Amino acid sequence: MRWLIRTLSKRLFRGRKNQSRDARAANQTGDGNLFRAPRKNQVLSPDLETNLKAIKAIFDKCSDVIYREFVFAQNEQIRLALIYIDGLADKGQVSEQIMRALALEVPMVVPGQEITKARALEFIKQRGLCMHQVKETDKLQDVIHAILSGDTVLLVDGHTCAIINGARGWEARSITDPVAEPTVRGPRESFVETLRTNTALIRRRIKSPGLKIETLRLGEVTNTDVAIAYVEGIVNDKLVEEVKSRLERIKVDAVLETGYIEELIEDNPWSPFPTVNHTEKPDRVAAMLLEGRVAILVDGTPFVLTVPTLFVEYLQASEDYYERFLFASAVRLIRFVSMILSLTLPSLYIAAISFHHELFPTPLLLSIAAQREAVPFPVFIEVLIMELSFEILREAGVRLPRPIGQAVSIVGALVIGEASVRAGLIAAATVIVVALTGIASFTFFYSFSIAFRLLRFTLMVLSAALGLLGLISGLAVITIHLCSLRSFGVPYLSPMIPTTGVDLKDVVLRSPWWGMFTRPRLIARQDQKRQEQGLKPTPPKNPRP
Amino acid sequence: MLKKIAFFLLLALLTGILSGCWSRKEISEIAIVLGTGVDLTEDGRIRLTVQIARPTAFVGGGEAGAVGTEAPASWVVSAEGRTVEEAERYLAMKVPRELYWGHNVILVIGEEMAKKGTRMVTNFFQRERQPRENAWLMVTKGEAKDFLETYSDLAKTSAQAAGFLTRMKTCYAVQLREFAEMLASKGVQPTATRVEAKKAGITPGPGQEKVFTAHKQVELTGAAVFKEDKLIGWLDAYQTRGLLWLKGEAMKGAVIVPSPAEPDKNVSIRILRGSTKVVPEYDGENLRFNVIIKVEGNMVDQQSREDLARPEKIKALKEAVAEAIRQRTAVALEKAQGEYGVDIFGFGEAFHRKYKKAWRELKDRWDEEFTRAEVNVTVDVRIREIGLLTRRASTEEK
Repeated sequence: MRWLIRTLSKRLFRGRKNQSRDARAANQTGDGNLFRAPRKNQVLSPDLETNLKAIKAIFDKCSDVIYREFVFAQNEQIRLALIYIDGLADKGQVSEQIMRALALEVPMVVPGQEITKARALEFIKQRGLCMHQVKETDKLQDVIHAILSGDTVLLVDGHTCAIINGARGWEARSITDPVAEPTVRGPRESFVETLRTNTALIRRRIKSPGLKIETLRLGEVTNTDVAIAYVEGIVNDKLVEEVKSRLERIKVDAVLETGYIEELIEDNPWSPFPTVNHTEKPDRVAAMLLEGRVAILVDGTPFVLTVPTLFVEYLQASEDYYERFLFASAVRLIRFVSMILSLTLPSLYIAAISFHHELFPTPLLLSIAAQREAVPFPVFIEVLIMELSFEILREAGVRLPRPIGQAVSIVGALVIGEASVRAGLIAAATVIVVALTGIASFTFFYSFSIAFRLLRFTLMVLSAALGLLGLISGLAVITIHLCSLRSFGVPYLSPMIPTTGVDLKDVVLRSPWWGMFTRPRLIARQDQKRQEQGLKPTPPKNPRP
Repeated sequence: MLKKIAFFLLLALLTGILSGCWSRKEISEIAIVLGTGVDLTEDGRIRLTVQIARPTAFVGGGEAGAVGTEAPASWVVSAEGRTVEEAERYLAMKVPRELYWGHNVILVIGEEMAKKGTRMVTNFFQRERQPRENAWLMVTKGEAKDFLETYSDLAKTSAQAAGFLTRMKTCYAVQLREFAEMLASKGVQPTATRVEAKKAGITPGPGQEKVFTAHKQVELTGAAVFKEDKLIGWLDAYQTRGLLWLKGEAMKGAVIVPSPAEPDKNVSIRILRGSTKVVPEYDGENLRFNVIIKVEGNMVDQQSREDLARPEKIKALKEAVAEAIRQRTAVALEKAQGEYGVDIFGFGEAFHRKYKKAWRELKDRWDEEFTRAEVNVTVDVRIREIGLLTRRASTEEK
């Protein structure tokens, strides 16, 4: 057995670890054959031709890179070159605000001959360019990155300096309703795939210089822009440091979605419970930041990570805070109940039917016995079949092209539900249990319910083997595991375990806004006070003024 | 780390597989016993009768085509043996599923068996793991087997019908646990529900106008009186009311009293609630019990024409109710003290609580002491409401 484990582990993990180490080493020496990367700190030459040659060598066989050479202010002496990527740069801006301005409009004001080659750069920057965002660099690496990011680079002959024009403009999806987290009341905006738009969406909600958005680049090939957002003064500084250090650790070739980062920074990679939350709603992110959390935004995905993450977060919908507190609390209670149901209902059903018949009241037992009379399977197999077919249906519902959706739901509802009961293969009670479990698991966050789905099957096996004893021991193991989990230093089950009295105001029940005096104690360590006390509204003493 | 995980995974897997599911019993593998009867055969053996639910008859929902061909809901089968356990083992040879006692609603003891002694029966049902101690214990006149072989028109099975009847506490009801407690106590002699299978009502149907069939159904008919674990006599329904009042149980039902001004007409008082307090008095010689019964009731029915809303009439009514209740207790007391000579009311326990030292001397001859004791019953009646009518419509204005 030791041999088996050793070989298994070698095959599965050690091998891959070595591989990635090799790849990393190759990248660091710079002779990886991924692309012809410029040497670090390579500086631009004063000669335009040399520079263009170098850049063209780097963008060899990149047909979407456009090089446009022209002269400044009709002066043949001063040659310019524009480099940008077709599709990423805003062509209107490039031609109107850069080319037209430099080539035609400048000589109308100042005759081109008066501008010398030496003063050209100064002139272009100060008087020529009609761009809102302009940066200068003399490093080839920066030039390359600017071009790849969609900026337009202007090279001036005779100067070792390139001007980076922020004329980005590409086809992007517009802001739409949140698909994964729909709401009845509350903002309908959701994040999009463009990082800038996303940071703007947050900034629009927190109009404070305290909102800091730091950027870094991840992915050796993809060079993805990643932003860390937090509110200074509220956030725990150590948390920001921790997030940064965990992000800096990441050396991967690509970051295409926040999921890549999530798996690389989470506290317990083996746990079924997610310790890094994600959302596509800007209002939710804003609320998280105001409670002292840190958000991680990645270019190219509408999903934003927030840390640290608590267990209860997954049961709190953003709508809870927009609806009146009585209703919100009631709804949240339902969510808690369905969470428990989605985890334990099938296992309870199996345990009760195969071991603990005395749990049922007599009429219910007789009714279930009648239903199960014709069923040829033991209840565990029966529930397993139904749970699996439910999972298959659910997965099909997500994957299938939209027009086929109806066909699947008909097959699911009629064939699997109705026909299996009529054929006597499955007891009606089992269908009810599985259906209720399935629906219950959709009342809270999708990514969280996945954990519950996995554990549900484990508990089903346990209770099929040992009855309630198995179910309870399974639940005990889960509880112990949950107690041991931490997310960026914050206990996962807090504020329940360890109990933080004040923070219980926002767990199962949501206290009214005039009762939310403090921010979560374990997250926002710096500034605990959320608002003044005594905001509870009272009717005026004199009703008719 | 990985080694550990793999080890525990393997361990968990093996626990599941190797330990098996030894006590696993699917619902379709068990025979659900709803009612149990125990009789004494003529040759002195114990006959165990069980009423087993036939699940196919309990299919709910609107299954079309099943109307008119209703399947019998139970199967009654019996076996004999020297002990209950032996009979149960013989029964297991006839029943193709495992007998499951967890939902046994009633335990019926036949008259002969009860006379021989109930300990031979109840011991098994208390010792065994599955049967519940909250099963209703009842004694039937005649044989328990006959009782279980009846069927009910409202409940699916006669066992359930008997269970529901008892649970409503319209008559004396006792659970196996309570019976065992009474058996263990020296201050009270056990009593059990008395049941009989009697023809009651008819089930008419189209085309059956001339062949109305009345079959035997279960009915509560009073209480069974025990000395130790042996049946010594019966109380009928009226005497049982007295038993209930004195035991302070099941304050339900109605008291019918003659109308104050017109004694040939009756007034009905429905009991809402009540309480019974037993205060023993003992001076070393004379034993006396003061029983204080408090009753609250509503007037629900009046045959006479007088105006009962007046205070003096209400007062008269109260006294009449008190008298009626006193009469009932007197009848029950007469039976217990005179005819059977056993303390079925639990006065001994009240005595024990108050006179701990004297109890030690008296407890072994308690029933004799009890028969000599003087019992004063005081009834305090309150009439809460007289209903929606204050005066009969036909009453003349006075």
